[in-house]
Amino acid sequence: MPPSDSSSKQLPPVVEFRGVDFCYSTQTVLHNIHLSAERNRVTALIGPSGCGKSTLLRCVNRMNERFISARVSQGQVFVKGKNIHDADVDLTQLRKQVGMVFQKSNPFPKSIYDNVAYGLRIHGVTTKDILDDAVERALRSAVLWQELKDRLNQNALRLSGGEQQRLCIARAIATNPDVLLMDEPCSALDPIATLQIEELMQQLARDYTVIFVTHNMQQAVRVSDYTAFLHLGKLIEFGDTEELFSNPKQKLTESYLRGTFS
Amino acid sequence: MIPTPIHPKIDPANPFVGQQSRNQTLESFVRWVLRFGTLVIVSVTAAIVLHIAVKGAPVALSREWPFVNVAFLTELPSTLHVIQDNQGHIIETDVNGADVIKMQLGANLREEKTISYSGGGILGPIVGTAMLVIVSVGVALFLGVASAIYLSEYASHGKFIEMVRLAILNLAGVPSVVFGLFGLGAFVLTAPVFTNSPLDRAIFTLPLGFTTLSFQGWDTCVLSGGFTLAFVILPVIITASEQCLQAVPLEFRETSMALGATRWQTIWRAVLPFATPGILTSSILGIARAAGETAPIMFTAALAFKDKLPWQKDQIPLPADASLFAHWEQSIQRFLAIFTESVQALPYHIYTLAARIPQNEYSERAQYGSVFVFLILVASLAATSIWMRRSLRAKYKW
Repeated sequence: MPPSDSSSKQLPPVVEFRGVDFCYSTQTVLHNIHLSAERNRVTALIGPSGCGKSTLLRCVNRMNERFISARVSQGQVFVKGKNIHDADVDLTQLRKQVGMVFQKSNPFPKSIYDNVAYGLRIHGVTTKDILDDAVERALRSAVLWQELKDRLNQNALRLSGGEQQRLCIARAIATNPDVLLMDEPCSALDPIATLQIEELMQQLARDYTVIFVTHNMQQAVRVSDYTAFLHLGKLIEFGDTEELFSNPKQKLTESYLRGTFS
Repeated sequence: MIPTPIHPKIDPANPFVGQQSRNQTLESFVRWVLRFGTLVIVSVTAAIVLHIAVKGAPVALSREWPFVNVAFLTELPSTLHVIQDNQGHIIETDVNGADVIKMQLGANLREEKTISYSGGGILGPIVGTAMLVIVSVGVALFLGVASAIYLSEYASHGKFIEMVRLAILNLAGVPSVVFGLFGLGAFVLTAPVFTNSPLDRAIFTLPLGFTTLSFQGWDTCVLSGGFTLAFVILPVIITASEQCLQAVPLEFRETSMALGATRWQTIWRAVLPFATPGILTSSILGIARAAGETAPIMFTAALAFKDKLPWQKDQIPLPADASLFAHWEQSIQRFLAIFTESVQALPYHIYTLAARIPQNEYSERAQYGSVFVFLILVASLAATSIWMRRSLRAKYKW
């Protein structure tokens, strides 16, 4: 879906990678990445297995730091105009404003309300009214409010797979982040649930900037505005989704799109 | 000559017919050996429990409502007087009743026997054991879970941490008597106390202006015994807690961190609640062990005889017009006395009855009664722990 309004082109990109190299101890897994994600647009990261898509995604909220000796060895990552590796960046604030949804839906074994309110509670919100409003807003955005408004105290594990993943999305957007990162959000779901999540992703782009990783090329075509194709840690091609899929400029991109390798 | 292979019987209707080969025989043999082993364990346990139940139940239970021997459970141990008169009647009573009966019988008295600790009841030991268990499990759970959290969530992997784990495992193998001596040296004789008049035997004193921090020990009391017992059960609690924490899926921690939680918030909200059922189960073993250990409390908490319960400590009676504050102060002192007085304890009481006084039918009766009550006490503590674990697991199941 191409961006139609030109006003977005004047705003700086929300997420920007400038010449980023990333390595796990001695092995470099990302080489010289130049990438940017526009505000209120959906950006897809595609590529064969092991090309570094998830690593790239996790750089945006510095989740890779959970692994020992994983670091950005060159270049900078900018989110909302600030280098996130600066010393004065508070990691909890960064992660409050950059939400993440994982591949396998993992709601906490608590009630639906407690799941969605989790992010707000850890940032110090305790007033019941504020929490109630935020939970309702998040569940509405995730198209779950009508279904679940009467059973907010039910254990979240009793929901179906698709509902659980939407609950995880609601949990991630409850803190009102600017960026939403999604790591293969539909790979564990059935086709109907997948379609629901894809619709949701397009709706979410109205309020948030979405970056997602996918194995499914058709999904990238259906949902995203911009696509980045990675191979073995290098960014091969990045551009408008329609352009990239109909007129790929690189031979490697063309081979991948044709299905020669995956 | 090459031996010809033995072909199994081929049944045209059933291609999967069983073959009576050596493997099958070995299989049944092993199965019976394992059954026999289990049977031995079960019979030994049953023998012990039934023996105690059969001999102890008549002492601790009674035939009418309320079906327990209330006197046995609510009186302090006292000396049993057995008076026999010339007609051969035997009367059992305590020291006051004995005086009365002797006066009544006069010259009719044939003989009087006194058996220590076998009269009255076992309230003192029950209360003492309960206090010791509460203090030791409380201290051990706090220290143990804190160590387990540090070891599994915060500590970086390396040689030092492996040595710490090895040290904790070694602690599990230390004999109980050694723990008792450790408790004697560390808590009874040299633990720090705030006091205005330090004793001469204190190894170190630190004057602090309005009071003195004196390392003179806590003396034999529930605190010393409780802390010593806490160290006895600490290794079990640490290793079990660590395993429970590591059993919580990694995804919970990842999600929590991705939402912007600090490490402690993650542990407190997304890890500990789900590890708690397992930690409480591990405390079952701890409770049973803390209740039953004799050697660690021999030097640090227990007395053979005490005529008062801990909160009945003697205090200066207040004058009639004493202020409310003075009454409050006395009540608080009474409460604190629970922890600073020495107590009787069930295992030590059983030891005294069995090994420190001459044996006869009366002392044997008291022994079995005490052991029976002791078993019931430990079993009910364990049952409470299992019930708590069950209800928590239902709430936090994943």
